[in-house]
Amino acid sequence: MRKVLWAITLNTFRETLRDKLLYSLVGFAVLVIAASLLAGSVSLGQDARVIQDFSLTAMLVFLLIITYFIGTQLVFKEVERKTIYLVLSKPVSRETFYLGKFLGLCLTILVAGLIMAVMFVIVLFAKTHSVPTAAYFAAGAVILEAWLLTAVSLLFSSFTSPLSSAIYTFGVTLIGHGSATIWLLSQKASPVIRGILEGVYYLFPNLEKFNLRNDVVFNLVPSASQVGLILLYFATYTVFLLILGVAVFRKDEF
Amino acid sequence: MSSKQFSVNSFQFSVYFRRFTLLIVLAVWSFSFVAQINYDSWRRYSPPKLLGVDYNVYIEPQPLSPSLAKAVSFGSTEFLADYYWLALIQYYGGGTPNGKYRKLAELFNVVTELSPKFQQAYQTGLIILPGEGFPDQAIELGEKGKRNLPDSWEMPYYTGLVHHIYKKDYVSAAKEFQIAAIKKDAPPITQYFAGIYYKEANQRSLAYQIFKTVNETTKDDFVRERSAKQLVHLEMVFFLEDAVAKFQQQFGRYPTSQQELVTKGLIKEIPISPLGVGFTINAETGAVSEAKR
Repeated sequence: MRKVLWAITLNTFRETLRDKLLYSLVGFAVLVIAASLLAGSVSLGQDARVIQDFSLTAMLVFLLIITYFIGTQLVFKEVERKTIYLVLSKPVSRETFYLGKFLGLCLTILVAGLIMAVMFVIVLFAKTHSVPTAAYFAAGAVILEAWLLTAVSLLFSSFTSPLSSAIYTFGVTLIGHGSATIWLLSQKASPVIRGILEGVYYLFPNLEKFNLRNDVVFNLVPSASQVGLILLYFATYTVFLLILGVAVFRKDEF
Repeated sequence: MSSKQFSVNSFQFSVYFRRFTLLIVLAVWSFSFVAQINYDSWRRYSPPKLLGVDYNVYIEPQPLSPSLAKAVSFGSTEFLADYYWLALIQYYGGGTPNGKYRKLAELFNVVTELSPKFQQAYQTGLIILPGEGFPDQAIELGEKGKRNLPDSWEMPYYTGLVHHIYKKDYVSAAKEFQIAAIKKDAPPITQYFAGIYYKEANQRSLAYQIFKTVNETTKDDFVRERSAKQLVHLEMVFFLEDAVAKFQQQFGRYPTSQQELVTKGLIKEIPISPLGVGFTINAETGAVSEAKR
């Protein structure tokens, strides 16, 4: 079982690498370097600030693009090309297949994220000769968020087309990052609407928990308990999504 | 026209098009380029009346309201703050051909709402806003900065400067400088300035106390020397005020000059301030003030 899982994971990773993934990395590098060169001349001495904010936001955006466009197609492609029959006719359970797909894309995101983080650190160090500790935490949290959204996109792609699941995942991202606004609205609304909004708040992933990017400029390193809570939230919510996804995927007929 | 003839023309066109594709694409693109440049300079340099607007709204940024900006940033508030910060610099650096920088205060407000601890934004705002006709907004910005950055000496210091230079409100300026003086890393001269402002506001005994503390506690040689001179100067003022009061008791009127005080034997000689300024006495009110240089 573990061997099979690893094989699917590695295969998924290789498959995503063939998917022109490198272009997004090139795009990221160009953006970060351009931002840093531009920042020096037009930000009134706020280069470090601009590089940090732009790079970390770009990192999130590019990792999410990978999630939206590759994550939603992984299972769909196998079904469309009918290659899934080859896999499932072997002694491979659907659960293993689904989990392998998830882990494979997580591996891709990890590798891409690490490459982006290294580029970011190099540009920042070259420009300012120091890298705040908080930046590493923020970059890590960005990868965690992309992992969680990978589980979301896999869940959607197990029952809808790639395009609609990409749109749904994007919607979940917006809701997840607007959670503070939703909470604020719920506190002002009438009891019924308040109940609905609070339901939305707790049902959808609270992606703001993974947002440590605003603290980087002030080098506010998160406390151990904060990191622990983030990891706990990530683990529980992702497991919840995976179980839900596997349950849907098990019922699928191709 | 028969349909046959039309199809021939259409065919010829496609032949030409295929032969000169690159040339045609380049030509059309350069037209669009020229059009774009003309449009931009029309928007930028035409007088607002010609454009049908009061101000040149085309070249000024239109920032969202702070609460809306926060909502649409989806958590990336620092990123959006940076965006508006860069937009602000572009706006201010680009020059405004028509009237004043109407959106400047609004931009500083959005940036500091999105990034409440962006110290450079506050400082820049406090320096440039008053000069562009926004002294009240600058003071508001300074108050927000004092709330959000309670450890910074710069916030009250710069706010005090706005009170002094643009509002001529020396008491408020002095109060800000006293707040700034007790912050960590505040320059030693800060409290000295507080004394100066109280002196300017004619609150001389308060100024005297401040100069005395400064003189006794400062580690800065320059500040100690200056505050000692200020103390001597103020002592002379008090001495003169005393003499004027005595003169008034004796003669029922105020002296017209210091010389009169000397001739009537109330003081031995005209005092010379170590600050190099003389004194004048108002013959109607008896007020002692520094002579205008």
